[in-house]
Amino acid sequence: MATISFDLVSPENLVFNDEVGTIIVPGKDGDLGILPGHSKVMSSLRPGRVMVYSEDKNLIKSFFVSGGFAEINPEKCIVLAESVVEVNSLEKTSIEKEIQELENKDGKESEEQLSVAKAKLEAINVNYYDKI
Amino acid sequence: MPSLKDIKTQINSVGSTKKITSAMKMVAASKLRRSQEKAEAARPYSSRLEEMLSSLASSAASGEGIIKLLTGTGNDQNYIVVPVSADRGLCGGFNSSINRETFKLVKSLEGNGKKVQLMPVGKKSRDFFNRVMKDQIIESFVDLNVSSTGYESALNISNKLQELYFEGKFDKCILVFNKFKSAISQEVTQQQLIPLDVSNSEKEEEKENSSNAIYDYEPDEETILKDLLPKNVSIQIFKVLLESDAGEQGARMAAMDNATRNAGEMIDSLTLKYNRTRQAFITKELIEIISGAESI
Repeated sequence: MATISFDLVSPENLVFNDEVGTIIVPGKDGDLGILPGHSKVMSSLRPGRVMVYSEDKNLIKSFFVSGGFAEINPEKCIVLAESVVEVNSLEKTSIEKEIQELENKDGKESEEQLSVAKAKLEAINVNYYDKI
Repeated sequence: MPSLKDIKTQINSVGSTKKITSAMKMVAASKLRRSQEKAEAARPYSSRLEEMLSSLASSAASGEGIIKLLTGTGNDQNYIVVPVSADRGLCGGFNSSINRETFKLVKSLEGNGKKVQLMPVGKKSRDFFNRVMKDQIIESFVDLNVSSTGYESALNISNKLQELYFEGKFDKCILVFNKFKSAISQEVTQQQLIPLDVSNSEKEEEKENSSNAIYDYEPDEETILKDLLPKNVSIQIFKVLLESDAGEQGARMAAMDNATRNAGEMIDSLTLKYNRTRQAFITKELIEIISGAESI
């Protein structure tokens, strides 16, 4: 079984860089599952989960990204994300609080933050496969 | 002729200055390492983004909306110049070279009949331009603390710039900053931020054209470009902030190293003077005693 090299890059640093089996990224129009040998795609991302699976299809890591871009070619997948957090380190209560605070605010900026925070909450609650 | 005590005090005060400068040098050296690491860590993102942008740039046909960041407004009458300096001094010519270069740039643009506005980043350039061109400053950003909240500050600056740009307040934006060349040398650099200067990335594109040609775009090229362009502005600013931060620490290290050395030299020459004076004093006393004894 082949592998594909995967880079997850945030403006501050290189978050993840390894050979993996499968990656699922949250494309703007729907999730993209990327396997080795994927055709060339450039996609922008919505806030959501980036899930990394090993060669034998076990979940290695899952990240929350607040949007960004993915560049995919047969050997390599690069995700440029504005902010990256590991899903395990997200705390439900603090996000719920953040959402409440943001809901009381007006303005375009807080609206954007709100949608990101809601996506975060969804990322924690959503069902996913530990093994595919 | 200064008394022995005067010289002693002077030696002591230079000695304590030397201690301060050498401590500052140490601090700058360790901060420099951290800033350099930061700058290095940010490199993959910005270079990737540039690559993406260069492969997309050709698809920007229309000059409407956000795409204007790439194609420009079609005018070049109104300029905004953003000098990026440090918040603190004691780093040699770091800040003054930025201010001088910016001042020269503004004057030459004005000489060509352009309208120029300023948006200084960092206390030192804000203070300088507050003195010389106060009415041209439309906004300033200080206390950025690049090493901890760099990206957020970059976002703030880029949001403000884009807001002004889409209000039609300016046509071109030029950054003036210190490019980090090595720990001891910085180069004052001008970079055109808006509209995006794709001339150098286009060359790269030609090189990679064969491999870049057949991408699928999702949702489509224009949507991606619309997301990409504003982000690129923030990333460019972020990169500049990091470079300037690393440069500042480097400049401070060099300046403090110099100051420490100078203080050392000064202490040496003062000690020599002190010993000479002391000897002269003793000799004088001896002569007085001897001549006193002879006269009896």
